[in-house]
Amino acid sequence: MERVLRPERKNSSKDLMLFILVLALSGIENLIAEVLPEFQLGPIEVGISSFIFVPIVLCILFDSFWAALAAPIGELVFADLILGEFGGLGEFEEVILLTMGLYIAGKMVKDVTNRKQIAAAALFAFIFQDLIGTFIDMTKVWVGIEDFEAISGLPESVFALEMIDFLVEFAVTGIIFGLIPTLYFAPRLYGKIEPLLGIKPRLIEKGAALNVPIRLIGGAIIAVIAAAAVSMLSGAGFNIIEWEPEFLDQFGQWYIWVPITIAAIVAIVVIWLGKSNNGEGQDINV
Amino acid sequence: MNPFKGMLDKINVESVELELMRTAYGSTTTLLSKLDPRILMVWYLIFAFAPWFFFDSAKLLSIFAFVTVITAISKANKLVLFLLCLGIIGQMACYAIVAYFLGGNMAALAALLTLTLKLATISLASIAVFSNIDPERFSDALLSFGAPAQLAFSISYGYRVIPVMVEEYKDIMLSFRLRGHAPSKKGFLSWRYAYYLLKIAVLAFYPLILNTAKRIRTTIEALETKGFSYAMNNNDVKRLKLSYLKIKAADIIFLLVSILILIAIILI
Repeated sequence: MERVLRPERKNSSKDLMLFILVLALSGIENLIAEVLPEFQLGPIEVGISSFIFVPIVLCILFDSFWAALAAPIGELVFADLILGEFGGLGEFEEVILLTMGLYIAGKMVKDVTNRKQIAAAALFAFIFQDLIGTFIDMTKVWVGIEDFEAISGLPESVFALEMIDFLVEFAVTGIIFGLIPTLYFAPRLYGKIEPLLGIKPRLIEKGAALNVPIRLIGGAIIAVIAAAAVSMLSGAGFNIIEWEPEFLDQFGQWYIWVPITIAAIVAIVVIWLGKSNNGEGQDINV
Repeated sequence: MNPFKGMLDKINVESVELELMRTAYGSTTTLLSKLDPRILMVWYLIFAFAPWFFFDSAKLLSIFAFVTVITAISKANKLVLFLLCLGIIGQMACYAIVAYFLGGNMAALAALLTLTLKLATISLASIAVFSNIDPERFSDALLSFGAPAQLAFSISYGYRVIPVMVEEYKDIMLSFRLRGHAPSKKGFLSWRYAYYLLKIAVLAFYPLILNTAKRIRTTIEALETKGFSYAMNNNDVKRLKLSYLKIKAADIIFLLVSILILIAIILI
């Protein structure tokens, strides 16, 4: 019968704790960032999109996939759905990108007291998700508009706007509210927050070099490039079939699924690589 | 300008907290909140995906109009709607200005209108549905769709605890300001004061993170003493927990009418 108690996977309650902790905290940091005033410099918006250091610090301290996954879900459920900023399909890419960025960042750090490693991980987490997100956004505008290239000035303006937007985001969210607070918080919270959750602090491997999971990052980047290339191809495909509007109506939006599907496959592969790459001694959930 | 200024003044931590409270302990009087949460989520999925399959602006406008009517019935928060409109207008203006400076013409704006319409339709649908769904019912709907119990529980717990956390964050900010020393000179464009406030806003996360960790451990341990992890893997327990969710005639009618309207829009 099913009533027999099945042996539960080890430490699943610890995973649940980490998941809820990051979920609630990233929800609240997004809500607070949302209400802070923003000001506009021409078409460019200068504002804090999130206090991204909160999930980064927690992912570095716990090196857990569940913590990385909880950050974008918290943002989605508690900030975007409530304030109606839910962007539909686009949000799923964001979940994949942010989870991968944070997970790899957590894997990169070997020595939590080493400031250089923390800085590298924090920068990586932000750049990975935001730069790729910017490219995906651009291709999405491309696919979403019927005769995108036919309108002069539009492709250039979208590209310029998105790139400037990225640079501003990088300076404000990435450096001021990402890198600097992470350097301040990570060493201070280390050894304090773990006992509160009943978890052993992460092992410090003194002198260990920054762990760059090449296979993980390489796999992620190659696949993202592939996804981008496919959406470029689909963009070209639009021009070919432009004279046949009925065909476009039927099959046009099929292309939007290609990058998303590829991104999903990549995420699964990356996580699988990360699991098999997992060295001994860095698992905190002892 | 005055009504706009009044609206802008209301965008602060208190209003978001109120909105959260309303979602967490929300009204159960509107049409949508009486429907089955699973039906609402299916409805939302349909209207989140449908706009991506059209380029015709007349059809998109009709779908947008229908979703607007549903949102009006569901009494969504006016502040949230206002923010949404502001965002859409701002985005349109951005693209128009840049396209103009790069030598494009105003046809760019018309082309972007279709994309903006799609995004606005999806946003409206999400506001209508998620401001009317009780978190408990939302998480049970997720559970019955086969989502992991841990995720479903986390979401309903989060909806309850986040208003408390917003309150706590406000208290920490206030106590920092009471004990701290505000800059005596404001500086150019009062940058010193802005810097001071932003620094506190970041530092206030330190006690918040530690307090949250403590609170969550207490909750999870209490749950585990009741056998949460085991119970949630047991199909009998799940069936018992979800037995109150029943799809009634009203739910079916709502979904069918929506789909019929959508089909009518597509065919015409």
